Amino acid sequence: MSVQTAVVLAAGEGTRLRPLTRNRPKPMLPAANRPILEHVLDALVDAGMQRLVLVVGYRRERVQEHVGPSYRGVPVEYVVQHKQLGSGHALLQARDAVDDALIVVNGDRIIEASAVESVVDAFDTDGVQSAVAVLERPDASRYGAVTLHDRDIADIVEKPDSDEYRLINGGIYAFGPAIFEAVDETPRAAGELGLTDTIATLADEARVRGVRIGGLWVDATYPWDLLEVSAEILARGRVNQPQRREGVWIDNDASVHDDATLRGPVVVGPDCEVGPGAVIGPEVALGRNVTVGPNATVERTVLDVDTRIEAGSTLQDTVLGQDVHLGVATTIPGGPSEVRVNQQVFENQRLGAVLGDRVRVRGDASFAPGTLVGPNVTVGTGTHVSGTIAEGAEVVR
Amino acid sequence: MCGIIGCVGRDGETLETLVHGLSKLEYRGYDSAGVALTGDGETVEISKKAGELDDLRAALEEYAPAGEVGIGHTRWSTHGPPTDENAHPHQDCTGRVAVVHNGIIENYQALRDELATSGHTFRSDTDTEVLPHLVEEGLDSGLDPDAAVRQALTRVDGSYAVAVVVAGVDAVFAARNDSPLVLGEDDDAVYLASDVPAFRDFTDRVVYLADGEFARLDGEGWTVTNIDGETVEKTVDTVDWDPEEAGKSGYDHFMLKEIHEQPRALRQCLRGRVEELGGNIEVGDLGDLSPTGVQFVACGTSYHAALYGAQLFQQAGIPAQAFLASEYASSPPPIGDALVIGVTQSGETADTLSALREADKRGARTLAVTNTVGSTAARECDHVFYIRAGPEIGVAATKTFASQLAALNLLVLAMAGGNARDIVPALRDLPGDVQALLDDSNAEAIAEVYEDSSAYFFIGRGYHYPVALEGALKMKEISYKHAEGFAAGELKHGPLALVTEETPVFAVVTGDGESARKTIGNVKEVEARNAPVVAVTDGASEVERYADHVLRVPETHPRAASVLANVQLQLVSYHVAKRLGRSIDKPRNLAKSVTVE
Repeated sequence: MSVQTAVVLAAGEGTRLRPLTRNRPKPMLPAANRPILEHVLDALVDAGMQRLVLVVGYRRERVQEHVGPSYRGVPVEYVVQHKQLGSGHALLQARDAVDDALIVVNGDRIIEASAVESVVDAFDTDGVQSAVAVLERPDASRYGAVTLHDRDIADIVEKPDSDEYRLINGGIYAFGPAIFEAVDETPRAAGELGLTDTIATLADEARVRGVRIGGLWVDATYPWDLLEVSAEILARGRVNQPQRREGVWIDNDASVHDDATLRGPVVVGPDCEVGPGAVIGPEVALGRNVTVGPNATVERTVLDVDTRIEAGSTLQDTVLGQDVHLGVATTIPGGPSEVRVNQQVFENQRLGAVLGDRVRVRGDASFAPGTLVGPNVTVGTGTHVSGTIAEGAEVVR
Repeated sequence: MCGIIGCVGRDGETLETLVHGLSKLEYRGYDSAGVALTGDGETVEISKKAGELDDLRAALEEYAPAGEVGIGHTRWSTHGPPTDENAHPHQDCTGRVAVVHNGIIENYQALRDELATSGHTFRSDTDTEVLPHLVEEGLDSGLDPDAAVRQALTRVDGSYAVAVVVAGVDAVFAARNDSPLVLGEDDDAVYLASDVPAFRDFTDRVVYLADGEFARLDGEGWTVTNIDGETVEKTVDTVDWDPEEAGKSGYDHFMLKEIHEQPRALRQCLRGRVEELGGNIEVGDLGDLSPTGVQFVACGTSYHAALYGAQLFQQAGIPAQAFLASEYASSPPPIGDALVIGVTQSGETADTLSALREADKRGARTLAVTNTVGSTAARECDHVFYIRAGPEIGVAATKTFASQLAALNLLVLAMAGGNARDIVPALRDLPGDVQALLDDSNAEAIAEVYEDSSAYFFIGRGYHYPVALEGALKMKEISYKHAEGFAAGELKHGPLALVTEETPVFAVVTGDGESARKTIGNVKEVEARNAPVVAVTDGASEVERYADHVLRVPETHPRAASVLANVQLQLVSYHVAKRLGRSIDKPRNLAKSVTVE
């Protein structure tokens, strides 16, 4: 294979995923019980990449600490994008680290190895200088929409107003080394340098192959999307823990009490502890070092690293950040709900609550469906919480 | 303290392999470096240079020794200043023999006088140089190289790990006594080194040599014999960590990387050992030791961990003391039936090893708390408890201190019992709490304010006293600034005279108990002398009212708070040193694991 280097764009925060991205970039958010980025890197390594270049920026130490100097034996280099000025600008930071043809992917979107291989194959065999993955989506207007002419890209538009588009940009690119110059020459729009602008220019000047891909392709735009992403990952069994029975994966270093019930699909990460009488699942992912106390019930929920749920709590359709503590008998019933993000209101979302990192709930508290709680919030005993709670607030009855 | 490397069977890549190995051993010493390859001729081909490894690399551009078999050395001076002449490898008069050595030869002066009298010419000031001349004597008397090296080693007293090559012989001869040495085997090559990372890029199969063992590495592989020449059966171990873990992963310094690795290191330390809901601590048979008394021996940062450990045991009702290992070895206290616990990151710290041996001689039970599997301390002690922090490359210990404190908490719970109900959840929360602190730390801003201070003082009480000492040690090690740690109550008994407007005082105060209130009293004494006060606190007490700056730690159990407070102080030292442009990962005059006494 001619392309052996992959550049992964992992510098962005993902502002629409706040409060979960307060302390880490979007690629480090959990998809089931592993960061999204790990799934991306898995696809690249499985597709035969020999070198990974990670463009990091926002909260970059979280990425560096987690991935380290190599991933599954493939060396990883880091380049820093100090200001997040668009995907083209991010790619440009890797200029000095790459001399040959390269693959470019987004670090926050889960893809399959076969999709990467398809793009590389097309790039190798068709003698083009650029190839872009495209796929069909019913909701194409939410993404970068694409039209093809023969097998080449004819048109590429970010989030078009019309709903005539069926194909979208899959965010997997193969380029020759000349791409850096092309990006550099692309005019900035409102101070930002978007990679799709460069591709639009290239498509006008020369051929840009559009490569149809299939398989897993999931993206989280809003916090509740993480539930969907995790369900998708679990349905496909993309977890590292050993399978105990159909749809139930438990790490060797986890301890699950004999009297706890696991309803698959469910994954229990390393160092977790599940107490007697707890009922976990379906569609639940426990990250590393999570404690679920006796008689707690957890359904369709993502519990991230170091989280603790005390006895008798009930959680449905919920996403918890890292190191969250829920005291005895905390109740979070599931959606449907109305959620407000910035100025937009999303109706009929299936969401219990989203709690940011290090939220402390003292016990006997309840949350209305659709509640968003910022990091480091303290919730007093017996409190009912609803709406959006700002970072660091103390909620008392 | 030095690093040695050797390899056989890397056809055409011998030099590259050696230099690569030396780059991984730089933490063991870096004031000079050199290599020797057997070559084709009558003499061994050598290149060596004072200075860092890059100076050797530059010299190798001019002249590159060649050969199928070679040895290399990175030096940290003990005898003679760092000069080209004093750099290893050392040779005999004829240039046939080259030797690299880590350790100290105690009777070198007598040997040197004797050899000089019989006509040998010495070129360096080192103790090591007697070895090649002794080997030369053996070869001249008709011995084969193997026997000549053995005979030479019977003449020397002291500590050594040595590797020897002889021109025209495609083999490396090696031996150890009180200094670390490990072999590595690959499909068609064999290696030896002071430490595994030197050849971990090529193989993960290793053989740990014991004291008094002698090894021969050649095209056939390796053989290990004892002093009498009898073959010793050795087991081949597999090391499971990734060589790349020694990489910097995009951080400016290993130290910063290792500070950020602490949540992960702590999770590894606690993994499978702590059960919160059941309250069980799983540490194998260590729980059955039930000591009636404990004596800790340790040096440097590990000594601070030992001071903390001694308090843990005392609180649990078991008499315990912490000793500086170097003092313990020369004037040991009565041991009785106490358990002697050696705390050493590397497991090779010479002072700690000799203290443990002293205790062993007196019939005491010994326990090593170490980070290094297969290290001398791990093998020589009756029991071992691994802290599982992963390799630490920065000379200033960071994550291993945090893991030592966590490990000691587990030990005391397992051995002495006590109330696990509060501390066990706090331990499980510790990785998350450290992460919270790292995410929000304002240490960099505080470092900016105080980078020009003339001295730094650190005070703490109880579990925070070792943290004060450790905070000062970090500051000394990497910023080269004057720093001292004091028990808070001791301040008024003398050190307060040093406190001025120019000397910030870092006060570690958590919780709101008796101890916090007393320390706040000491903070007021400092405040009255107009010294700037930086409080390291969880916000439970009123210390912030008297502080100019605050470093915040999450609220938790007092024992876990010490780990957290220490992380803030690590960050302050790091950022002060960085602003001053210091060589953070390799501070001057210091080496990672000190294998000389």
